[in-house]
Amino acid sequence: MISLLRIDDRLIHAQVVVGWGRILCPDRIVVADNETAACELDRNLFTMAVPPEIKVSILTLKEAVGRIHGGVFDREKVILLVKDPRAVLKIMDLGLEVHEVNVGGLHYCQGRTKVIEGLYLDDEAREALRELVKRGVTLEARALPGLKPVILNSMVV
Amino acid sequence: MSNHPSAREPIGIIISHGDLAGALLKTAKGIIGRVEGCFMLSGSELSSDVLVGRIREILDRHEGRNAVLFVDYFGGSMCINSVRAMEGRKGVKIVSGINLPVLLDFMTKREAMEFEEMVDHLIVRGRESIRVIDV
Repeated sequence: MISLLRIDDRLIHAQVVVGWGRILCPDRIVVADNETAACELDRNLFTMAVPPEIKVSILTLKEAVGRIHGGVFDREKVILLVKDPRAVLKIMDLGLEVHEVNVGGLHYCQGRTKVIEGLYLDDEAREALRELVKRGVTLEARALPGLKPVILNSMVV
Repeated sequence: MSNHPSAREPIGIIISHGDLAGALLKTAKGIIGRVEGCFMLSGSELSSDVLVGRIREILDRHEGRNAVLFVDYFGGSMCINSVRAMEGRKGVKIVSGINLPVLLDFMTKREAMEFEEMVDHLIVRGRESIRVIDV
């Protein structure tokens, strides 16, 4: 069961493990990102970042959707993390049904402009978010569960 | 500068969420006075690549000197990006769970101790400084 689908360019970090973890009490954190799945250093780093009581899977987008459809995570509470809005479109194209996405963190780098605290978008991200809105997905922006969610839908179209 | 012994001291970079790094550095300076070769970075708003780049920039500016990257939270993004920044470099260590006693010891002992020994000492110092005081 997916308790939270989150876009966060840092993937696993303290806000996810501690901030969301203490509210959602996940059994597993799944990182769905092709680049990370292919990088041994990143796989080790993210596995190290999670306390032993929470399981970690670092998968390609295709593997992640395959396992979700295969029922592998049915009896677990799962936080599913992707790096950017485009990845959400890809997992939808692979057949995953998505109604709501937590836009948790897209941080500053050159070419991105600030939307709200902790959320900086470039044209590519805006385009992908617009497409998600078209597909009926609710974009709920907040870094942490205790914060008031900002619905981005009308802000990106 | 190069024949000045302190030019060979390890540098320290405090990397934290929010305002912690700046506040720690300022507080430490308030206790021991002027400090050279210590820097701070707040990564809260930065993407991973930008943060890695800023850490490397400081390391590059002090090439030839050992460095300790002090991060606030083991497994957090400051920690993860510090590992990325140090990859392939010699003489760089990360100490996670930075606190004031660790930082003060680094600033005051780094000149006198051998690098590896000093880093081990910092870990012991940090652990010793966390205690329950019950009266």
